[in-house]
This record gives sequence, structure tokens and C-alpha cells, in this order.
Amino acid sequence: MSTGTWARLSTDAFTVAFFAYLAGMLASFHYLAFRRKPVWVVAIGATCVGLVAHLLSIVGRGAAAGRIPLGNMYEYSLLLSFLVVLAYLLFVEGAAKVRTLGGFVLSFAVITMAVAVLFLYVGPEPLIPALNSYWREIHVSSMIVSSSLLALGSVITILYLAKERRERRLAASIPPIMGGSVGLEDAPPHFEAGADEPAAPSGPIRRGLLPSAATLDRLAYRMIAFGFPIWTFGIITGAIWAESAWSRYWGWDPKETWSFITWVVFAGYLHARATSGWKGRRAAVVALVGFASLLVTYYAVNLWIVGLHSYAK
Amino acid sequence: MRTALVLLLLLALAAVAGSLVPQVGVADARIVAMFRDHPLRARVYEQIGLFDVYGSWWFTLVYTLLLVSLAACLLPRTRAFVRNLRIRPVPARELDSMRHYAEVAVPADPDGAIGRARRVLRRRLFRVNGPNGVPTLAADKGLAREGGSLVFHWAFFVLLIGVVWGKGTGFSGQAVIVEGETWTEAHANYDGTLREGRFFGEDHAGVQLRVEDFQATYRTTGQPQDFVTRAELLDADGDPVEEVEIRVNHPAELGGVKFYQFGYGWAPVIRVEQDGVPIADGPVVCQQDVPPEDVSPLQLPWNCVVKLPTLDPQVGIRFELWPDRRGLLALLETGRAMPMLGQYAPVMTFEAFEGDLRAELVQDASALDTVAMRRFETGVLGAGETADLGDGLTVTFPELRQYTVLTVSRDRGLWIVLLAGILILLGLLPAMYTSKRKLWVAAEPRGTGAVLKVGGFALQRRSQFEEEFDKVVSELRRSSEEKVGT
Repeated sequence: MSTGTWARLSTDAFTVAFFAYLAGMLASFHYLAFRRKPVWVVAIGATCVGLVAHLLSIVGRGAAAGRIPLGNMYEYSLLLSFLVVLAYLLFVEGAAKVRTLGGFVLSFAVITMAVAVLFLYVGPEPLIPALNSYWREIHVSSMIVSSSLLALGSVITILYLAKERRERRLAASIPPIMGGSVGLEDAPPHFEAGADEPAAPSGPIRRGLLPSAATLDRLAYRMIAFGFPIWTFGIITGAIWAESAWSRYWGWDPKETWSFITWVVFAGYLHARATSGWKGRRAAVVALVGFASLLVTYYAVNLWIVGLHSYAK
Repeated sequence: MRTALVLLLLLALAAVAGSLVPQVGVADARIVAMFRDHPLRARVYEQIGLFDVYGSWWFTLVYTLLLVSLAACLLPRTRAFVRNLRIRPVPARELDSMRHYAEVAVPADPDGAIGRARRVLRRRLFRVNGPNGVPTLAADKGLAREGGSLVFHWAFFVLLIGVVWGKGTGFSGQAVIVEGETWTEAHANYDGTLREGRFFGEDHAGVQLRVEDFQATYRTTGQPQDFVTRAELLDADGDPVEEVEIRVNHPAELGGVKFYQFGYGWAPVIRVEQDGVPIADGPVVCQQDVPPEDVSPLQLPWNCVVKLPTLDPQVGIRFELWPDRRGLLALLETGRAMPMLGQYAPVMTFEAFEGDLRAELVQDASALDTVAMRRFETGVLGAGETADLGDGLTVTFPELRQYTVLTVSRDRGLWIVLLAGILILLGLLPAMYTSKRKLWVAAEPRGTGAVLKVGGFALQRRSQFEEEFDKVVSELRRSSEEKVGT
């Protein structure tokens, strides 16, 4: 096949993947609200179709450019969203058997892909000399794998915060006679019943839409704990590459600086979880700060801050 | 730990500031622009060190405090860890009140059963204490967690040592070398600023590099493809060591000094003669202006200057070099220069001035101060041509060469920094993915055989331990059956 055919295949497959994820997202939200098993099957089916098309798009891109497709922001976004969805299917649906989070994860993938195609698209081109290093492949792929894990963890953390708040309100509104512990095994130990909370719906506690806060918290932690060492590895390999390309392993270039900031914040999250008084909600907020920092590292540094990584637009 | 965490977050905040405000050495042009456009703000920033965050006293203070607080945290932990290594697992009672508890009935007598249990636990890499006279065992596993955590944290001190030692005893600068020339690694031969470390003892290596040729290749789109400097490395005595190709991502090294491809430019050989006697002869390094928006540097000409202070009146000639003649022709025809991807019938335009060069003023070697001078001749000079400037003065352009710009640096701390990176990773993995768990086994006689009481718990990753505990129990059961069967 010619380069042009590969390029067209890549963009067509991208479109298929995009709309498949969109369909999967809608079906997932429907399942979240109404819990119809067939809708869940549809959601998973659409996601899998999207994933295959997505993979095809990445492969086509690589074939069209004649290299591993990790040379610019469009390609990073393509792989990042792919890995987020893949990690979701493997770890959340597969290993943890949590079925209700697909809509949120797919929203993240859909937004990432939309941003990529609207603002970051460039044609498949060969690389400039500075990028032509095998360290680039190791560095960039570990950065993207860890970004996708950290992003997945962060999306789940947002849901955790929402769920935790709801559980706290429910707990606060339960009359003491009911024991106050019903449905509360998972609430963080520091919760306090607020007098200003709205009155409870009487009767049995309505089943929440999302998995319990404890489940979400554990899932989020696992993703971040998985992604953090890979991020560390990515920074180290980046430094090794920088040493051979730019003659120094660390130069406080904006991308380097922000990857360090993200590392520090997620390190803070991991420590916070082990610190009494910071478990639960506060640690989750730290993780969200880390997520914001990740997005700055990923997008803002390339698009708005001038530095050595600017070529990776 | 909380102090260290707060300091760590402070460090991150300072880094944020450093990424938003232009930094010395990273974005010098933007600092200059800021001094021009917002002088007051720029001066305030300069006072508090915002233009050099990572070298400022407060940044240094934060990370010093961080390391001190880290050390204060780590020392007692390390001591406890070492003590823990020596202490054998401690016996426990009331195993049935532990988080995990199981009983296994075995046909062997208590002493025999406990011996087998010991083997099972040893095989699973538990540290086992017992039986010490009584048929009980205490076992634990997972010291790697705390050990890894300690290695991870201490590695940052290794990192600091590597950085300080490497930067402190090293240097880094740039060398501009024209094709065919030999460059010696010495303080005076660097171009622009040479950064030498605080503990640097002026022990420059003295190694030499002779550039054979430089080649820049571009794709037809104007995208750079490869930059290669072919050179010969010579040791300090001038003996050849090896032929190297220096390209982006592929530095060359000799005697701890590394050469990295950084940039390149054009250096026309220019010969000026008066009445047939050469008064200037050799390659002249040309520079390029910063291109305006939407213009590639490949479309711009190169500028250089030849100064002749010995003549009376003094003469200065300003050259504008077009390495590819078609670039100039396109500019003249269409108003837009064509990108010049290589050498093609190069041509120079020149303006000759006479008067006072004002050499007593500090000025750039590549700039001509024409305040006290008068232009007396202009012209065009192709490669191999000679132009007559009058008064017996001629200027010849025999050939066009290229020069390469190499970053030359020495950092003896590199391997320490790499070691720190490896320790950080090696420590991080067990610190995050293993857990400390404890097990106890007690055997009591029951009927003709015995019953093994097994209790234990994990301090982290409890759900995984549940599975492990079940496996241990079933192995205990199996081992007793095997033995009896044989």
C-alpha cells in the first residue's frame, strides 16, 4: 500500500474509533442510570470496535510516516487515548469488575481525540534529527503509558470525590436509631455529620449510581500507583536522551520542569494516602492537582510555553 | 514526613514560577524584551531572583531544608530497619484472634509437623524463627518494602552528590570550528560564555579535534534530516586517536570531554590583497539574523565582516553571503527568498567602507561600526571571483566552507547521577508493590497426630495476602500428606 493509502486508512479508522467511543460513552451512561445488561453489552462492544479501529489508525499512521508514530502531539494524543481505554477495559472492567465507569473514561478519550484532530493535527512526516534516537521511543512511550494510567486514576478520583460527598451526606442524614453505620463501612474515618445537610429520604438507602467510594478510591490508587514508577522511569530515560541530544541531562526546560512538578504532586498523593488526616478526600484533591499538572505538562507546555519541546506540537 | 511533604510542594511551586517566568540561559531574548517593555517589573523580578529560580538562594534553601528534613526522617528509619534485620521474628500468642487464621489437622506429631511447616515457609522465602524447644514458628516477609523505600529516598542524596560534583568540577561551552581547522580544548578557545564549575581547577583536557567536513542535509520540504561533523580526535600531545562522526544524539568523547553537535554556519574564505600582497586571508565565520515570523533561517543570507585596521585610512568590508545563488535571484524576482538547502554557485554582495573602525570601542567582531566611515564601493562576488576596490585593493572569494558549532562539556558526575536514577527505580518498585506480612504457626497434639494453628496478617496490600495465606495453609496441608504417603 502506498503512503497516501495508509494515511487515508489512518484518518478513516480514527473517525470510526471516535464515533464508536461516542456510542460506547452514551451506552455506558445509559447503563449507569438504568442498569440494563444488554446496554452494557452494547457499550463494551462499541468500545472494543473503537479500540480496534483506534489501533488500526495508529498503525496506519506509523506506516504512512515510515516510523513509530510517536513524533508529535497528534500522535501522542492518539496513543494516550488508546491506552486510557485499553487500561480501562483491562483493569477496571476486567480485573476489578467495575462496570459503571465506562462513560467517564470514554468521555476523556473522546475529548482527547477531538482536541487532537481539531488543534494538533499534522500530516505524517519524518522526524527532525534531534528526535531521531531510540531513547525517544523508550522515553515517549513510557511517558504516554504512565500519562494514560495517571489520567485514568484521576478520572476515577473525580468520581470518588462525587461519590464520597454523596455518601457523607447520606450518612449525615440517617437517623441515629438506624445505627449510622449502614452503608458506611466505606466512608473515610474522618467524616463528620453536618447539621446543615438536607434531610434524609426516609426508608432504605437508595442504591447509588456509582460503585462505593472505597472501591473508587482503591481503583484510583491502583492506577496511580501503577503509573507513578513508569512516570519516574520516563523522566529518567528523558534525562538520558537529553544528555545525548542537548549535552545536559537536566536543564529546567518547561517540559522537564512540568514533568518534575507532576512527579512531585503525585509523590505527594502517594505519601498523603499513608498519612493520617490526609487519607480519602484530601489525598484525592492532591491527585486532582496532579491531574491538572499532567494536563499542563502534556498540552500547555507544548502549545503556549516556548521551550525545547516545542517541536512536539 | 509532613514537613518534608510541605517542602516538596513548595519546591514544586517554585518550579512553576520558573516555568512561567523566562529563565537565564533558557529564554534570554525574552528577558531582554521584558527589560525593554516592563522595566520596573523586570527589575523587581531580577531582585528576587525570578529570572534564575533554580539558582536562586530561596530555591537552594527549600531543597536544602527538604534534604535536611528527609535525612532527619530517614536516619531513625534506617537505624530501625537495620535493627529489624537482625531481630528474628517475634513469637506471638492467641493466633486465632488474628485477621487471618486457619487450623490444619496433620497426621504427624507436633515436632515433625512444625519441621515441615518450617520448610514450607522457608521455601516461600519467609524469615522463620523457631522451633526453639516448643513447636511454634514465627515468620515474616517483606523487608524489601521498607528497604526499597529507604533506598529510594537515600538515592536523592546520591543524586545531589552526583549533580554537585559533576557540575562543580566540570565545564560546558561552545566551539566554533571551520572545516579543515583544528580546535584545542582550552579556556581561551571557547566561543561565547564558557561555564566552569565552582570547584573547577582549570584542568582543561587539552584534547584536540580536527574537523574534516560538515554536512547538513535537508529533505525537499526544508525539514532538516541530518547534521554530521566528520572529525578526527587527537589527544593532548597531538597524536590521532580516532575518526568520529558527530551528529545530533551521537556525541563523541575523548578523555572525559564530550562533543555534541549543536549548530553550523557558513565561512567563506576571503582574501584581501593590496598591490598583490595578501593582508587578510582565511575563512570568515558568518552569522545570521534572527528570522522574522514565517521566514525560515534557510531563506536568510549570512553576514560577516572583514576589518583591515592596518590600512590608512582603515577599511572595513561588510559581506552578505548567499550560499545558494538561486536564493538571492528568487528574492530579487519575487520578493521572497527560496530556502537554501546547500551550496550552489554561492555569491556574496559586499559594501566597502573607509575611515575610522573605532577599534578602541568594545564591539562585536562580526559587526562593523560605520559611524566614522564612508562607503566607497559595493559589488557582487561569486565563488572564485575577484573584485577590484581601487587603490590597488582587491578582494577574492576563492571558496565557501562551512563551520560547525559543537557543545563541549565535561561532567564527571554523570555516572553517579545515573546510579541515583537506577537506585530510585530499584527502590521504588519494592516500596510500592510489596508488603510486610507476618505469620505464626503453632502445633498442638490432637489424637494420634497434631493440629497446626496458623495466624497472620499483612500491613499492606491485604487482599493479596488473603490469597497468599490460603496458599500457605493448603501447602502446609499438602506437605504433611506427602510425607505420610511416602
